[in-house]
Amino acid sequence: MLDGIFVGLSTAIMPFNIMMVVVGCFAGTFIGMLPGLGPISAVALMIPITYGLDPSSGIILMAGVYYGAVFGGSTSSILINAPGCSSTVVTSFDGYPIAQRGQAGKALALAAYCSFTGGTVGAIILLFAAPALATVSLSFQSGDYFALMVLGLTAVAAFSGKGQVIKAMIMTVFGLMIATMGADVMTGVPRFTFGSLDLLDGVSFLLLAMATFALTEVIMSVMKGQHLEKDPEINMAALGSMKLSKEEVKEVAPTVARSSVFGFIIGVLPGAGATIASFLAYGMERNFASAKEKLKFGKGSLRGLAAPETANNAASTGSFVPLLTLGIPGSGTTAIMLGALIAAGVQPGPRLFVDNPDVFWSVIISMYFGNLVLLILNLPLIPYISRLLAIPRPILIPLILFFSVTGVYLVSFNTFDIQMMVFITVIAIFLKMLDFPMAPMLLGYILGDIMEQNLSRSMVLSDGSLSFLWERPLTLTIMIIAVILLLMPLISKLLGKRNKTAAS
Amino acid sequence: MVITKDHIGGLAFLCLSAAYGYYTGDIPMLPGDEYEPFNAQTLPTVLAFMGGILSIALIVNASKNGGERLSLQGYDFGIVIKLLVLVILFGLALEWVGFLLSTMLFLIGGYWVLGERRWKMLIIASLPFSVFIWFSLSQLLDIYLAPGRLITMLFGG
Repeated sequence: MLDGIFVGLSTAIMPFNIMMVVVGCFAGTFIGMLPGLGPISAVALMIPITYGLDPSSGIILMAGVYYGAVFGGSTSSILINAPGCSSTVVTSFDGYPIAQRGQAGKALALAAYCSFTGGTVGAIILLFAAPALATVSLSFQSGDYFALMVLGLTAVAAFSGKGQVIKAMIMTVFGLMIATMGADVMTGVPRFTFGSLDLLDGVSFLLLAMATFALTEVIMSVMKGQHLEKDPEINMAALGSMKLSKEEVKEVAPTVARSSVFGFIIGVLPGAGATIASFLAYGMERNFASAKEKLKFGKGSLRGLAAPETANNAASTGSFVPLLTLGIPGSGTTAIMLGALIAAGVQPGPRLFVDNPDVFWSVIISMYFGNLVLLILNLPLIPYISRLLAIPRPILIPLILFFSVTGVYLVSFNTFDIQMMVFITVIAIFLKMLDFPMAPMLLGYILGDIMEQNLSRSMVLSDGSLSFLWERPLTLTIMIIAVILLLMPLISKLLGKRNKTAAS
Repeated sequence: MVITKDHIGGLAFLCLSAAYGYYTGDIPMLPGDEYEPFNAQTLPTVLAFMGGILSIALIVNASKNGGERLSLQGYDFGIVIKLLVLVILFGLALEWVGFLLSTMLFLIGGYWVLGERRWKMLIIASLPFSVFIWFSLSQLLDIYLAPGRLITMLFGG
């Protein structure tokens, strides 16, 4: 392990990679600040750039953008009460009231310290958890992989919120359907290409990610008329002091410690991610608070700001565990990173830390740098970065459109891809209006090919029978968990009904 | 019965699954593949069935529990169509007039559609940016950007 850490350290401290972390954190902070554009879109916009880089530099850049975007989201939550992404919605509950008291500087500093601590504690746990899990998963066979992917996909559906489970499952199947387009991975025969040569390679991952996230998010914001809203005026002089008193530090320290570990664990669960972690950590902190303090929550409590801020960064780090060790992304953002890594010729999974130790370790090591960059560089620069928010929307929106379209074009140099992007965007807008979640689709699409390969291998090995699903205890256990997750909404519904009848 | 968002979504996916299932039959197979336990049609067939079952489940669930109706109010579809057409035109322009000119036209068009009317602003926000991007791509990163068919026709390759 020590060897690995050194390899990672030597890769991560290369000047170019440090620059990538810095650039990533800045770009992420800026994109994350823009209301409506979250970490997923920010990371998606970076994919074309990573194509020209080493896989390790590429993922370091994307990881930097990821934490930057989460941090940027909290900045706009605190300053203008407009969360940049869903994982920082909770931040605005207490962050904005603190800012309104004229202590925006303090709120921003606290958010930055908490993000730093959450991210760092997460990275330390990751340092030990990831190799341990990766060692175990080296014994996995294709059947186990298939079961794991089924688990990953069902978990995403199960955690997608009340009333959304069937929709998330449909979207997963839709993603799998899109993955089957193009030449078959096993035999090479064309599937669903309708005779078009352009479709023989299938729908590219980059195109799908850009169209369903970056392009759709921007166009939806225009459709809702957000570009007409007056740009927020941020009074830099009113930020106030960025210093925290000793008492304040003492007050939030236990909260930060609790939320770091809690956030990390939630982040590791596939499909849960930073948003759920921040909501749960806020709820947990409220339960821990005394009756008097409980009243402060939602009105500018420091603990109420610290809990979600710590948890969402710890969860972002935690979501790298399943990505790096099992090759199964825990969230939409890590799903995009998985796609980018596969495109760069790196297959994340148990073999990653054996075959590409530089990628594996440099990501983990660069997380420390990323958190440090956010704290040392971003915090003092926040007043200046937030000035970028003042760029008028009618100017900013075409630029984002331009970056997402040319990002796809510059990889394939095929204008058919641009038309395809528009087509997919129209479908994505329609689906978003009907409240269908997009992340499960992307997850299904990315895991589709690998899942089919593993399923086919297992079925050929077991002579066409599905017995491989229950013959090995490991596969059976994973499948049982997947089934339980799948049936969870049904079970909780039945239990709820029973409780109701018992109560009446 | 009230038609909710879930009804529309379920029906759309039911149609999609049916069409997907129909075209699954068109997937060619290598000789002897039909006797294999797993071939190119296996997963698509399973997916078509799963899609169908889930869409019906969504429709049934929506009829039972009700839900939100699809409201088209408050959305500006005109501007969406204009922006998407602009993106398509950008794609066409890339082929005909090259990267630099099409980028500039796309940006000016985008600003115009979103309500910017000051000519000075339109030029300032598009020309330097386009030149900068074009210069970085073609000169610094050495990426070949085709000059566009029209330019080649007029001025030669």
